[in-house]
Amino acid sequence: MSASPKIYLVDDEPALLKALTRLLKAEGFDVASFVSATRFLEHPRPTGCGCLVLDEAMPGMTGLELQSRLNAEGCDLSIVFITGKGDIPMSVRAIKAGAVDFLTKPVKDSELLSVIRQALEKSEARVAERASVTLLRDKHDRLTARERDVLRLAVQGLPNKQIASDLGIVEQTVKVHRSRVMSKMGAESFAQLVLFSEKLRTFFPQ
Amino acid sequence: MTAAASLTLAGIHGFVWIRRRTALDSLAFCILAAGTAGMAGCELWMMHLNVLEDYGTALQLYNFLRWLVTIALVVFIHFSLKAGRPWLEWTVIGTRTLGLVLNFIVSPAVYYTSLEEIRRIPFLGSVVSVVDGIPNPLTIVGQLSLLLLAAYLVDTTLRSYRLHSPNRALRVGLSSVFFVLALSLQMMLVLWGVVDAPLVASLFFLGIVIVMGIELSEDMLRAARLAETLQSREVELGRQRQLTDAVLEGAPGILFLQSREGDMVRWNSQHEKTTGLSRQETSIRKSPEFFSEADRPLFLAQCARVFEEGSAEFEAEVLSKDGSTAPHLLRLTALELQGSPHAVGLGIDISAKRAYEREAANQRQKMEQLTRVASVSELSSSLAHEINQPLAIILSNAQAAQRLLARENPDLRELQEILDDIVAADIRAADVIKRLRSILQQGVPVLEPVAASALIDQALKICLPDLKAAGIQVVRRLPKRLPLLPADRIPIEQVLLNLFKNACEAMQECRERVLTISCVTEGPVVRFSVKDTGCGLPEDTDSVFEAFQTTKLRGLGLGLTICQSIVRAHGGRLWADRNRTRGATFHFTLPLNPESL
Repeated sequence: MSASPKIYLVDDEPALLKALTRLLKAEGFDVASFVSATRFLEHPRPTGCGCLVLDEAMPGMTGLELQSRLNAEGCDLSIVFITGKGDIPMSVRAIKAGAVDFLTKPVKDSELLSVIRQALEKSEARVAERASVTLLRDKHDRLTARERDVLRLAVQGLPNKQIASDLGIVEQTVKVHRSRVMSKMGAESFAQLVLFSEKLRTFFPQ
Repeated sequence: MTAAASLTLAGIHGFVWIRRRTALDSLAFCILAAGTAGMAGCELWMMHLNVLEDYGTALQLYNFLRWLVTIALVVFIHFSLKAGRPWLEWTVIGTRTLGLVLNFIVSPAVYYTSLEEIRRIPFLGSVVSVVDGIPNPLTIVGQLSLLLLAAYLVDTTLRSYRLHSPNRALRVGLSSVFFVLALSLQMMLVLWGVVDAPLVASLFFLGIVIVMGIELSEDMLRAARLAETLQSREVELGRQRQLTDAVLEGAPGILFLQSREGDMVRWNSQHEKTTGLSRQETSIRKSPEFFSEADRPLFLAQCARVFEEGSAEFEAEVLSKDGSTAPHLLRLTALELQGSPHAVGLGIDISAKRAYEREAANQRQKMEQLTRVASVSELSSSLAHEINQPLAIILSNAQAAQRLLARENPDLRELQEILDDIVAADIRAADVIKRLRSILQQGVPVLEPVAASALIDQALKICLPDLKAAGIQVVRRLPKRLPLLPADRIPIEQVLLNLFKNACEAMQECRERVLTISCVTEGPVVRFSVKDTGCGLPEDTDSVFEAFQTTKLRGLGLGLTICQSIVRAHGGRLWADRNRTRGATFHFTLPLNPESL
C-alpha cells in the first residue's frame, strides 16, 4: 500500500475524520489523518506526490495558514480544502495560493474523489517537473562562469557581436561558448535552451 | 287726628296686602288700623251728641268696632309673633264675640242697663258730651275679654321671647299689653262712673297701631333689604353657573356630577355625545348605566371607594347608545353638596392611547422577531458549521458503507460502526435544528432542570473555534457543586453564546485577551458572569441594553436586547459592570425556584 499515492486528512472533527478515512480507504487510498494542523506538522514531511485534504476552519492554525506554511517549504502535496463555512474571499485566497479546489461540506463522494484524483495528477506532474528541473540545475551548475554569462545574455536575445562587446571578448569565442552551453545543457535548439533557462528562473530566481 | 293717622296706616298695609296676598299680618293690621280709625270717629261723634237715644246706637256701633279691632289684634299677633296658643286665641275671640252678641241683645248697649242723661263736661280744653247711666253687670264679659286678651298677649310675648326674636317680642308684646291694660282701666273707670271723662279707647289702640306699624314697616324694610341681597345673590349664582358651565364644557372629556345614589345632577355635552343619550335620557339613568356591563361592578366598587377615601382613579369602558364602547380613564372626586355626598367624575377617552399601545406592542413583537432573525444571521456562520458538520459525517459514512457493501465480503463490524456514527451525527444535526427553531420562534420558556456547567460547556463548545481563532484564553471558574436549575436550555445557551461573542469582539484590538466564565449560587438564584479584558463599556452601562445601540460596524445592536428578554422570561436579570482594571463583565441570574416566577 505504501506505493499507492497517499492522502493526508486534517480536520478538527474526529467523527468526520473517521468517516472520510473510511470512504477513501474503501476507494483504495492510503490515508493518514490528523485532528489539527499542528499534529500534521509534527509528522515527518511526506515526500513524493500526495494530496492534503484540509479543513479550513480549525482551532489553532487554520487551513489557509498551513497552506502558506507548506508553500514556503516548497511542498509538492496538492491541497483540497473542505469547509463548513467558506466564503468567496476565502476560497479565492486558497485557489490563488495553489489549492486544487475549495469544497463545501457536506461533500459528495464522487465530487471528492474526482477532485482528489485531479489533485494527485497535479502533484505527480509537479514531482516530475521538480525532477526535470533538478536535472537542469545540475547541468547548469556544471557550466563555467563565462559560459553562464553567455547563456544569460543569449537568452535575452542579444546577437553574438553585442555579447562579445559586452563581455570584452571576440565574436568567435562567443560562438564557441554558445555551442558548448547548448551541448552541456542538452538543448537541441536555441528555443529549447530559452525554455530551460525560463524553467530554472521560475524554480530558482537567483 | 287719630282717625287720620290710623287710616293712613290702614291704607298702606291694605295696599301691601293687596300686592302680597300671603301677608296676612298686613291684612290684620289694616283691619286693626281701620277699626281704630272707626273707633276714633265714633268717639268723636259721641263727644258731640246731645240726644240720649243716639248715644245708645253709637255705643252699639262702638262695641262692634272694638270687637273688630280685638279680633284683628289677635290675628295680627298670631301672624306677627307666631307663638300664640290657639285655645287662648279662640277663648279671647269667643268672649269678645259673646260681648258683641250681648251688645246687640241688650238695650241700649251692653255697658248700661239704662241711660239717664247726657252731661257736658270740659275735656282737654274743650266741652264734650258724656253720658250717665246705670252700668250693666254684663259689661264684665267685655272686661273679661280684655283681660283675656292681655293674658294672651303676655303669654304670647313670653313664648315668642323664648322661641323667636326676643327684641321683637318685647317691643310688640309689651307695648300691646301696656296699651290693652291701660285701655281696660280707662274703660272701667269711665263706664262705672268713677272718672268723669269720655271714652277714648281709640287712643290706646292707636298706641298699639303705631307700635305695630313701626314693627311692620321695619319688616318691610328688612324684606326690601332681603330682596336686594337675594337679587345680588341671584346675579352671583348666575355668574357661578356660567363659570361651572364653562368648566364643565371645557373639560377634556366627559364630566358629570352624581349623587351617592347614582342620580345624575349635572353633566357636560361631551357626556351626551359620548353616550349618545339626550339630556332627557341621561337624566333618568343612574351613573353605572353609562358604562359597559362588564365594567359596572368595577364602577360601583370605585364609587363606594370614593365616598370613603375621597377620590379614585380607574379605567372603564363607556357605553354608547349604539352598543359600542370607548375606554376611558376615570377620576372620581367626592364632594358635599347641599349637605349630601356627591361625586364629580372626569373621564378621558384613552382609545387613541390604547391603540397606540397596541401598535407599539405589535411593533415591538415584530421588532423582536426581526431581531431574532438578525441575531440568527449573525450566528449563522457558526450554526451553518454546526449543521454541516454532522451532515458531512453522515454523507461520508453512508457513502463509505455503500462502497464496503459493493465488495464481495463486506466487513460487517465496520458497517455496524459506520451506522452507529451515522446515528450519532443525525442526533447532533437534529439538535442543531431544534436550537435554530427555538431561537426563531421564542415563546414561553419550557423549564427543565439543567446543570449550569452543562449550559456553559455547550455554549463554549459552539464558539470555541471562534475564540481560539481570535487568540482568546478561556478561563472557566466553576465551583465543584452547582445545583440543577430550571431553565430552557437553548435560549440560555444563546444568551451565553451572545455574551461570549461580544466579549470576543470587544477584545479584538487588545493585547491581553482573557475570557473568564464563572458561575455561583447566590441565595435563591444562580449568577453567571462573563468577564473580558476588552475595550470596556460606556459610563452608563444600561445603555448597552437598548436596541440599536452598537459599537460594531456590522450587526444591529439587538443581541443584548434579546438576551435581556430571554433572561427576563426566566425571571432573572441581566446587567453589565465596568471592570476595575479593564474590560467589562456581564452578569445574569436565573432563579432556582420557578414558583417565584
